[in-house]
Amino acid sequence: MNAPENQLVVERASLSYGDRSIVTDLSLALPEGGVTVIVGANACGKSTLLRAMARLLRPTGGRVLLDGRDVHTIPTRQLARRLGLMPQSPIAPEGIVVADLVARGRHPHQGPFGRWTTADEAAVAAALEATGVSDLADRPVDELSGGQRQRVWIAMALAQETSVLLLDEPTTYLDLAHQIEVLDLLARLNAERGTTVAMVLHDLNLAARYADHLVALRAGRVVAAGTPADVVTEDIVEEVFGLPCMVVADPVTGTPLVVPR
Amino acid sequence: MSTLPVALVGGRRRRASRRRRMLALLGLLVALAFAASLMIGHTLYGPVDVIRVIVGQDVPGASFTVGDLRLPRAALGLLAGVAFGMGGVTFQTMLRNPLAAPDVIGISSGASAAGVFGIVVLGLSGPAVSLVAVVAALGVALLIYVLAWRDGVVGSRLVLIGIGVAAMLDSVVSWVLVRASQWDLQAAMRWLTGSLNAASWELVVPLLVVLLFAVPVLLAQARPLELLQLGDDAAAALGVRVERTRLIVIVSAVLLIACATAAAGPIAFVAFLSGPIAARSVGPGTSLLVPAGLVGALVVLSADQLGQWALGTRYPVGVITGALGAPFLVYLLARTHRSGGSL
Repeated sequence: MNAPENQLVVERASLSYGDRSIVTDLSLALPEGGVTVIVGANACGKSTLLRAMARLLRPTGGRVLLDGRDVHTIPTRQLARRLGLMPQSPIAPEGIVVADLVARGRHPHQGPFGRWTTADEAAVAAALEATGVSDLADRPVDELSGGQRQRVWIAMALAQETSVLLLDEPTTYLDLAHQIEVLDLLARLNAERGTTVAMVLHDLNLAARYADHLVALRAGRVVAAGTPADVVTEDIVEEVFGLPCMVVADPVTGTPLVVPR
Repeated sequence: MSTLPVALVGGRRRRASRRRRMLALLGLLVALAFAASLMIGHTLYGPVDVIRVIVGQDVPGASFTVGDLRLPRAALGLLAGVAFGMGGVTFQTMLRNPLAAPDVIGISSGASAAGVFGIVVLGLSGPAVSLVAVVAALGVALLIYVLAWRDGVVGSRLVLIGIGVAAMLDSVVSWVLVRASQWDLQAAMRWLTGSLNAASWELVVPLLVVLLFAVPVLLAQARPLELLQLGDDAAAALGVRVERTRLIVIVSAVLLIACATAAAGPIAFVAFLSGPIAARSVGPGTSLLVPAGLVGALVVLSADQLGQWALGTRYPVGVITGALGAPFLVYLLARTHRSGGSL
């Protein structure tokens, strides 16, 4: 169960908000250095699961392990140096410029007096470079387009220099071209930096295209997990989304492509 | 990795140097306003006389006027201004809404209502009144927070609830005042209009003690507070202990506001004005605690001078800040409604 190649492991977790149970007895593992995508219908518990993985929600049962250690026993800052999260709708303070926002990703690495070091500056520069927003460094975040803004938030998470990066619907509110741009960026970062990526996505076809490991949820339970080819079948899609469909090979990538009937 | 982009470093240096310049300027203006408060009055005293009084030499005439009247008054203005400015901007930053200032959302009203109630109905006086006011302000902050809570707190909902709570508390004040005797009315007035007229060392020293405790605590939370602006989840993911930070910050800010109100009354709109003015001067992206404290001190000290000497009749400082602050409130309401922006 706790194989060394799984960096983040969810062990029989039950999650709830107040007395409303969202996820029950769910187990899941993120392969190290892989891209895991979590899919499922609305309100199936995807975001809740991601929040629990990032320690924003304490499981009522079971636990979440990072490199074999329960995340709730890891000090907050130390965890933030190893595990990053891009929430669904982060808020940029009014007027803040890109470089300053991305610099906030360095918080867990800074000492008590918050001295800005060359290492911090280098991490910010690398993050801006990797996400292609170096030219925007001095621009206020409010003035950017949706796609640019999303890249800036990813840059902030990169500046955090964690080995695991969780993203909650990083493509929401973006048009198709920008969705592809963001996902290509994440795939490249995963390939170049070896960052373990896990994200929630709405679009099943994009999920199948970019995932190494796909997890399908329904009503707070894992219906199927494995390679996109294993998970995206006509039966499973119907079970998870209640959508009768055909699955064909994506003419570009060969990954499964869902065509609703 | 060894060569850093020049533009990136340059941009950061430029913003940092603007901030330093503006902080120095604000500090200088506060020092000038403080000095002016000591020198200007019915009798003008030069800087030499003022300094001699401060270092404890006996200067005929000046020793009483400057040492016993003007110095406590200026010190009270300075400290109350810093307290209102910092306390106000803390709430505005935490709730990401400039309207969420303690004097708009009822926290100052809570202190006032409790103060007046303590004097008129309970017959309290001195430190007991302050204590009641601090407890009431904390209670009101908690009440507003609980009422606004629904899977987290949204600034705009908290502001609306706060305005409602403020209206209720103001009616408590009116009710108490109707029952008050002439004598109590005098004492109660300080809780209603901000004024430095009653300034004395007995008011200044306790406020100074509270500031020496609360300001460092708040400054230590400057960074987590900035990160909270990104949203609770984003802040937590960056290693901020969200609930702990929020608790520390709320208690310190309420303490500042309540104690300043106890000493100088709810000097209208200072808590509300300081943050936005500070944001416009030092620029976005850094902590506003220190600049807002300086702006608060500057506003109180200069409004007090204006009220005393510029208008023929002597007006309490709260009348001046109220007259300046109200139009700004209307402006911010109109603008916020259009853009939904923060500070």
